[in-house]
Amino acid sequence: MSAQPTPAITAVGAPPPPTLLGGVAFGDQLRVKRWRLHNGLTLLGCLDTAAPVVSYHTWFRVGSRHEQVGKTGLAHLFEHLMFRETLHLPEGEFDRKLEEIGAENNAATWLDFTQYTISAPAARLPLVIELEAERMQHLVLREPQVQGEKSVVANERRFRVEDDVEGALSELLWATAFTRHSYRWPTIGWMQDIEGFTTEDCEAFYRTYYAPNNATLVVVGDFDEAQLLSLVTDCYGHLPAAALPLEDVYPEPPQGELRRLEVTKPTLTEKLLLGYHCPALGDVDHLPLSLLGEVLFGGRASRVVQRLVLQAELATDARIFVGTFKDPGLTEIFLSAREGHTAEELLAMLDEELERVQREPVTLEELERARARAELALLTSLETTDGKASTIGFYETVLGRPAAAFERLEALAQLGPSDLLRVARRWLPRDRRTLLLVRCSTEDGPGSTEAVEEPA
Amino acid sequence: MSQVEQVAPRVFVESSSALPLVSFSVSVPLGAAEDPDGQLGLTRLLAILLRRTAGGRTAQQLDVAVDGLGASLAVDVTQSTLSLSGSVIARNLPGVVELLADAIARPGFDEDELERAKRETLAELVESRDDDRTLAQRWFRRRLFQGHPAGRSVSGTPATLAAIDRPALLAQHARLITREQLHFAFAGALTPAQAAEIAASVSGLAPSGEARSSLPQEPPPQPGRRLVVVDKPERTQTQILIGCLGTHPHDADHLPLLVGNTVFGGTFTARMTRAIRSDRGWSYGAYSSLPSDRYRQSFSMWTFPRAEDAAPCVALELELLERWVAEGISQQELELAQRFLVESHAFSVDTASKRVGLELEQQLHQLPPRYYQSYTERIEAVTLSEVNAAIARRITPEDLLVTVVGTNDRLGPELRRAVARLAEAEVIPYTRD
Repeated sequence: MSAQPTPAITAVGAPPPPTLLGGVAFGDQLRVKRWRLHNGLTLLGCLDTAAPVVSYHTWFRVGSRHEQVGKTGLAHLFEHLMFRETLHLPEGEFDRKLEEIGAENNAATWLDFTQYTISAPAARLPLVIELEAERMQHLVLREPQVQGEKSVVANERRFRVEDDVEGALSELLWATAFTRHSYRWPTIGWMQDIEGFTTEDCEAFYRTYYAPNNATLVVVGDFDEAQLLSLVTDCYGHLPAAALPLEDVYPEPPQGELRRLEVTKPTLTEKLLLGYHCPALGDVDHLPLSLLGEVLFGGRASRVVQRLVLQAELATDARIFVGTFKDPGLTEIFLSAREGHTAEELLAMLDEELERVQREPVTLEELERARARAELALLTSLETTDGKASTIGFYETVLGRPAAAFERLEALAQLGPSDLLRVARRWLPRDRRTLLLVRCSTEDGPGSTEAVEEPA
Repeated sequence: MSQVEQVAPRVFVESSSALPLVSFSVSVPLGAAEDPDGQLGLTRLLAILLRRTAGGRTAQQLDVAVDGLGASLAVDVTQSTLSLSGSVIARNLPGVVELLADAIARPGFDEDELERAKRETLAELVESRDDDRTLAQRWFRRRLFQGHPAGRSVSGTPATLAAIDRPALLAQHARLITREQLHFAFAGALTPAQAAEIAASVSGLAPSGEARSSLPQEPPPQPGRRLVVVDKPERTQTQILIGCLGTHPHDADHLPLLVGNTVFGGTFTARMTRAIRSDRGWSYGAYSSLPSDRYRQSFSMWTFPRAEDAAPCVALELELLERWVAEGISQQELELAQRFLVESHAFSVDTASKRVGLELEQQLHQLPPRYYQSYTERIEAVTLSEVNAAIARRITPEDLLVTVVGTNDRLGPELRRAVARLAEAEVIPYTRD
């Protein structure tokens, strides 16, 4: 291979091998082992020989929370640039080499982290490690690539936000509910910020955050442990640790009032979005609040779906997302009205259900169903090596505990109706929430039930 | 790595102790193509009612039971298949088997539930107009497969749904859900003997009878270049699908065309992504695809540039397509595509449920014997001349459908100019059913 990445070893002598720091059970059959390199790079390995494949994830502890006003979206734009040119790989070669070995390759940026994922046939692990190490230290940032990728990201924003009703609403909800914390801007960034980024902005971001002591490697699959440790040492061991900047994040002041907005969108049905400030993922209230979300919105047997979607037939869709973030985030509730019904009707009936869980305990049967659903969701997410690596990397990056998914599953068994009653009263305050009501801008909005027949 | 076993006719299983989880599916190789003309949506409603009235229970009782077992149970209807499938925490498998048996053999087909499902379907049809990509796919299929069952709506329309009643459901159930048509697939924490026993107990309850599929293999050709603009207000962006009829898995040139498609738009470094995303930054994604089914499927190119770039993007796509057809691909491109397809097949078979799923698809789509088992060897055997001949034979730049979801006032005239030799143009309001 003419453009094979070669680690630029500058230190005298070979870097020391990673230090084993311990291990933890990951379910009944697997174990996650933790090593650290002398430069602070964390390596988590989980041997899983169910298939001859391996997933190699690189998690950086930088997300949109680390951005500044006027520079929103930089973490996400930078994630795009990581797929372009490096010192030893011309434009397009990184992806071409991965395609040649049949690898699956992607990345994601969110509020608290940036995640790069590669899954490959097990025998190809050495090349995967070399490629990931190459772009972590030798990325080339030039004006044409930065300009081109800004245009791609602007188009991604049009796709996910401008022309997507739900995407636009979610962005507006967070920007209204948060006034101080950096969670108030979207990970993809405001359009004017995306358009304003310079190559220098991207270079500064790379130098600041893409350091070994700000990253965790998660490796799951059929690998040889000695070979893995040797390769990781060779490819990353010479990288210097960086002085990471102080995290300049302000806590969000308590929301002391109801915030209400109405917007008009080109949609045929009204929508309702609610935001309640919620505890951080590591907070003792997070798990019971998530379980309460299951009781209310989890599946067709849940209370809100039963009442608003199936019985009253007011809504076509009813969903909840209890934010899973490092700092306190938002619980989002989304409802879409059926034709002829209004957002106010949805809100009135929803409020009855929310008041009910604040007034009286949920039943033990409901709790059991919610627990069973949570267990099924975890198990199905762990079928592939990529699913396991994502779960391990997420909980390691946000909580520092790679097997926390199973800890949470065990903790579910200890929760009772009183826990759900407590979090319902604390975290679903009617007078301190954010409401977004969506009106239809088309003539065929609520009230129109006539369908246009397609001509033969 | 364990292997898929066939433990009885149309019963496939792969045991795996990796997780305390069992995935399952019961399917028939008959789908929405079996809907009578005036009752489009009938087969989908049949599937929904199987799930919601199993054993004469109410939908709520069933939802409570499924969730309480730590299970999922979903229905899926395509033009060629109907399936009930899901997963369950292994210790609760017996409970799900009982529900499955009741769904297949003892549905109550409650009248109220039927009416509720019809109202729900109507609401979903309205809701789906919020999604521009769905709109593009819907109208692309309808126009490309005009005159063929694949061009009809699986969900139905207000008029056809209104024409569906309980006797129609009962008749469709008797025709489609028969012992001879049932196909079972299981993966996970169960033994082959358990799987065989479950399949026997469920199919033993189903009536006997053989239904013949009414899905013709060949959709009628649609000559000329046609433009369909799905007109939706306030669009800053467009959704563009361009394509023609593709291949059938039984065609000798299906795999050669698949390799050619990989070079053209099947990966992140393919020609389409390079030209549209990497070189011009016009769209977040630009891909082409060549799906397969029991009938001749489509070849399509998909991208979504901003409104200002839509017309030049369509012109560029047509230019790329014409060059691909005229010049074919190079030996170097062929080799890279072959390596990609062969090596990445590992991720189509990396779990027991995926391996069983491929076996089931092989049966339901009536693919040639050992289709997936021999897939990588056949990909490796494809030659450059076979690929280029397949592209030239199957891709028809002069008989092409261009579907664009966007704001017509802003885009219509430019789009017409962008499609050289345009034979026909149509503007469809996005609110049309």
